[in-house]
Amino acid sequence: MALSTERLGKYDPNNPQENRVTDIGPRHFWQYFPEVIKNNYGKWAYHDILEPGIMVHVSETGDKVFTVRCGGARFMTVEHVREICDIADKHCDGHVRFTTRNNIEFLTDSHDKMVAMKEDINSRKTPHGGFKFPIGGTGAGVTNIVHTQGFIHCHTPATDASSLVKAVMDEVFDYFTGMELPAKVRISMACCLNMCGAVHCSDIALLGVHRKPPIVDHEYIDAICEIPLVTAACPLGAISPSKTESGKKTVKIKEERCMFCGNCYTMCPSVPISDKEGDGVAILAGGKLSNRMTVPKFSKVVVPWAPNNFPRFPEVVDYIKKILNAYSESANKYERLGDWAERIGWEKFFEKTDIPFSEHLIDDYRLAYDSYRTSTQFKFTQAAWDVSKKVGGID
Amino acid sequence: MSTEDYKQVILDHATNSKKTKLYFSDLKKAVQKQYPDAKTRMVKQAATELINDGTMIYYSTGSTTMYGLKGRGITEDQ
Amino acid sequence: MAFEPKEEQKTINYEEARIYSQEELSNYTEEELKNYKIKHDVPDLDDLEKGPWPSFVTDAKREDLHRKKLNDERLLISKNCVEDLLGQLQLSFDHGETHWKHGGIVGVFGYGGGVIGRYSDVQEDFPGVASFHTLRVNQAASKFYDTNYLRTLCDMWEYRGSGLLNMHGSTGDIILLGTTTEQLEPVFHEMTHELQQDLGGSGSNLRTPSCCIGKARCEWSCIDTQDMCYELTQFYQDELHRPMFPYKFKFKFDGCPNGCVASIARSDMSFIGTWKDNIKIDQDKVKAYINGEAQPNAGSHNGRDWGKFDIQKEVIDRCPTGCMSLENGELKIDNENCNRCMHCINVMPQALRPGDDKGVTILFGAKAPILEGAQMSVMTIPFMKAEPPYDNIKDVIENVWDWWMEEGKNRERLGELIQRKTLQEFLKVVGVPAAPQMVTAPRANPYIFWKEEDVPGGFERDVEDYRSRHKR
Repeated sequence: MALSTERLGKYDPNNPQENRVTDIGPRHFWQYFPEVIKNNYGKWAYHDILEPGIMVHVSETGDKVFTVRCGGARFMTVEHVREICDIADKHCDGHVRFTTRNNIEFLTDSHDKMVAMKEDINSRKTPHGGFKFPIGGTGAGVTNIVHTQGFIHCHTPATDASSLVKAVMDEVFDYFTGMELPAKVRISMACCLNMCGAVHCSDIALLGVHRKPPIVDHEYIDAICEIPLVTAACPLGAISPSKTESGKKTVKIKEERCMFCGNCYTMCPSVPISDKEGDGVAILAGGKLSNRMTVPKFSKVVVPWAPNNFPRFPEVVDYIKKILNAYSESANKYERLGDWAERIGWEKFFEKTDIPFSEHLIDDYRLAYDSYRTSTQFKFTQAAWDVSKKVGGID
Repeated sequence: MSTEDYKQVILDHATNSKKTKLYFSDLKKAVQKQYPDAKTRMVKQAATELINDGTMIYYSTGSTTMYGLKGRGITEDQ
Repeated sequence: MAFEPKEEQKTINYEEARIYSQEELSNYTEEELKNYKIKHDVPDLDDLEKGPWPSFVTDAKREDLHRKKLNDERLLISKNCVEDLLGQLQLSFDHGETHWKHGGIVGVFGYGGGVIGRYSDVQEDFPGVASFHTLRVNQAASKFYDTNYLRTLCDMWEYRGSGLLNMHGSTGDIILLGTTTEQLEPVFHEMTHELQQDLGGSGSNLRTPSCCIGKARCEWSCIDTQDMCYELTQFYQDELHRPMFPYKFKFKFDGCPNGCVASIARSDMSFIGTWKDNIKIDQDKVKAYINGEAQPNAGSHNGRDWGKFDIQKEVIDRCPTGCMSLENGELKIDNENCNRCMHCINVMPQALRPGDDKGVTILFGAKAPILEGAQMSVMTIPFMKAEPPYDNIKDVIENVWDWWMEEGKNRERLGELIQRKTLQEFLKVVGVPAAPQMVTAPRANPYIFWKEEDVPGGFERDVEDYRSRHKR
C-alpha cells in the first residue's frame, strides 16, 4: 500500500459513492502500546517522579517504564511531528504518546535509555535558543496550557491563543521545569465565551471576552443569514426581527441586554462582535477538576478584562505572576489554588495578589444571590476600610 | 409507513419551509405531524438517505449542524 | 491480556506508504533556517521566536522553508499557505480582530461532521489561505501512536494540506488545519483507505470520545478506559457522523476520581472509574513513608523543602471524611465512611491502592457556557459494572438520548434540559430512584410540586363538602 500522489487520489468526483469507506472509527489503541505497556497492562503497582518531567512506573511483575514528558505548542507542523518521530524511533522503538494537556511523552523500559534520551531531547534547540522539547510538567508545578485556536484558525475569537500561551509559558517556564508550588496549577485558555477550551474548572483560566455589542450588517443580513436562527441564538432574547427604512428584513439589538457572549455571531456572520478596543482577556482563578480532598469547583472571575496587548500580553502575564507568587508563598502543601483562596477568604486573595476588586466581579447573572455573603464572617482588608470610610463609619 | 413516505414529507418540508436550513428536530416534527408514530431513528434514516442520494445537504456552523435542500438558500461555497 | 480491534488493523509501513524521499525531507539546513525570512513583515511573530518555551512561529517558519524548497508538483495546495497564515496572523494582531470567516457547507459526502469550513476575509493579500478548512481526525484512545502511522499521516497532510496540525484539539481529535475544498474528499479517501482512519465529530453529533491513560500506565485506573472509549466510539459511529441530536454530546472516560480528562466538567456523560470495596493497605509501605524511605505524592513536591513527611498532618488530618487513623503504627481506614477522594492514595501510592471491586460512577450534564452558564456533571449512577461489551451502559445511553431528542430544544445541551425539566424527571428517564448521593443537601425551600397521585384521594374535592364544615 502507498499513499496516492494523484491530484484527487482515490476519489472520483463523478462517482462519489464509489470506493467510499465510512464509519470505521479510530485506529485501535492496543497496537500502539510499547511492549512494556502491553506486558504490564493493568499491573502497574506505583510510580515515582524521579525529577521534573521524568517518571518511573513500576509493575507488579517488576518491570519498569520510564517516561520523559515534554511540553510543546499544540499547534505544530508535520516537520515538528517528524522530529518527534525521530526521537521515538531512536529511543522508544517507534512509540510516542500525547497527553490531554498537549504534552508529549516518550516511554522506554530502561533507566539508561531514558538518560540517553533525556540528553538528546535537551540538546534540541531552535535557532533562537528556545527549547523544542522542554522537559517538565509533572507534580507541583505548572504544566502545559490547554487552549483553543485563536486568530490562527477561528472565526469568533476575542483574543489570540497561541501567542498568549507562548507569552505566559515563557514567563512561568521555571514552574514548568520545577515542582516548587504547593500543588499542581492547571492553566487553561479559551478565546471566547463559547469556551471550546472549557476552561471553567482550571486553577487559572484565561478567557477572551468581547465588551461591545454586535453591529448589524443591515443590507446583507437577510441574504446571508436565517433571521429566525439569529434571534433564537441570543440567550437573553436581546435580538428581535426588524426592518430597514427601505423595508429589508433585518434584526435589532437591545444593547442593554447584551452579555457579549457572541452566540449570535456563531450563527450569523452579519452581526460581527469583535473589536480592537472592546476585546480582551478575562482571568478566572481557583477552579479544579479532581475530587481530591475537596469537590471539583468552578474558576471565579478575578480580572474582568485585561487588554489584548499583542504579542506578549504583559498585563495578563503580570496578573498571572501575581497570583502564582501569592499562592506559592501562602498556600499549604497539597492545597490547590481555589482551596487556598477559600481558606484564607477571597478578600485576602485580592489583598495578597494585589489585584483590584471591582463591581464587575460581583455576579449579576442567574443565581447570583448564591454568591453574596450572608454572614458576618469576613476578614478586614483595605477594601473593607474603604467601604467603611465611604459611609462615614470611620475617619 | 415506509422510509419513502418519510422522505417525501421531509422533502416537502424542506422545499416549502420559510427557513432554508432546518434542524433535525424540524424534520422530525414535520414527519411526526403526518405520521405520529414515526420513530426518531427512522426519521434519521430517511434524512440520511436524502443526504446520500444528493437531494439534501448538511449545513454546519461548526457547533451546530442543520439540513438543507441542495440548491436552496446559501448552499455553495462562499 | 490483550484487547482486540473490531476489524483487523492494517499494518502501516511508512517506507511503503511514503510520498517524500529522505532527500526531500531534509532539504534545508539549520543555517538556512536561522537566516530565513518569510515574505510578509511579521514583527510581533518574530518576537514570539524568543524565550525558552517552544515557539510555534519558529516551527511554522521551518515548515514554510521546507515547503518552499520542495518542487512545485510535490504539493497540491499553495506552497505559500504557511507564510500567508503567519502574515494574516500579524494582520490580526494589528487589527485586534480575526480574519477568518464562517464555515458553511464543506464536508465530506454523507458526513455531517468532521470538517469545518474556513475562509480568509483578506484573500487578496493572503491567497495561500483563501480557503483553509479543518478536518478532525479521531485519535487513537489515550493518544499512543507509532511512527509509521504519524509519518504517513504527515506525508499525506503535507502533500494534500498545509502541513499544519494540532496534537491535539480540545475534545481530543488530531486537528488537520488548512486545506482547499478540492482536497477534502481526497484526504478523506487516503485516510480511510491507507490509514484505516476515520474522522471525528463536530456539529450536532456525538463528539469524538476521549479517555485518560487508564491501565496502560496508571496504577489507579478502575476501568479499561481505552477499551470503553474505543467500543462506544465504534458502536455509535452513525451518531458521530450524522447529526440527529439537538446539539453536541460528549462522552469522556476517567479511570479514577482524579479526573485527568476532565470528564466531570467537559462531558454530557461522564464515566469515572471507582471501587466499592476497601482501599488496599500495605502496612510495611505505610511505615516506609513514615520513615522517609518512600517519597510522598510520588515525589511531586520535591522542588521545595516541605520538611519531614508527617502522615498525621499530611494524610490523616487532610482526609475530608476523617475516616483514617493511626493505631500502634498501623494505618486504619473506616472504609464505610470513605468518599474515595484519592488524596491518601495520591500521597502514598506504594502503600495504598483502590480496592478490587471496580466499576464506574456515571454523571450527566456538564458543559461550558453559554445559556445557563457552565455546569458540572450531576452524579446519577453511583456504581455500575463496566465490562465488555458494556450493554448495561449502552442501555442507559440510549434512554437518555431518546429523551433528549424528544424533549430537547435546538441547541440545548443535556445539562440544560435536566435543569429545565428537573433532576426528578431525568431520574425517571434513567429509571432509578432518588438518592441522597445525588444532591449535596436536600432542598431548603419547601415548595414541593406534589403530584395528584402522591396524595390520598387525589386533588378532586367538593367545595360544598368543605363548606358543610366551614361557614362562608
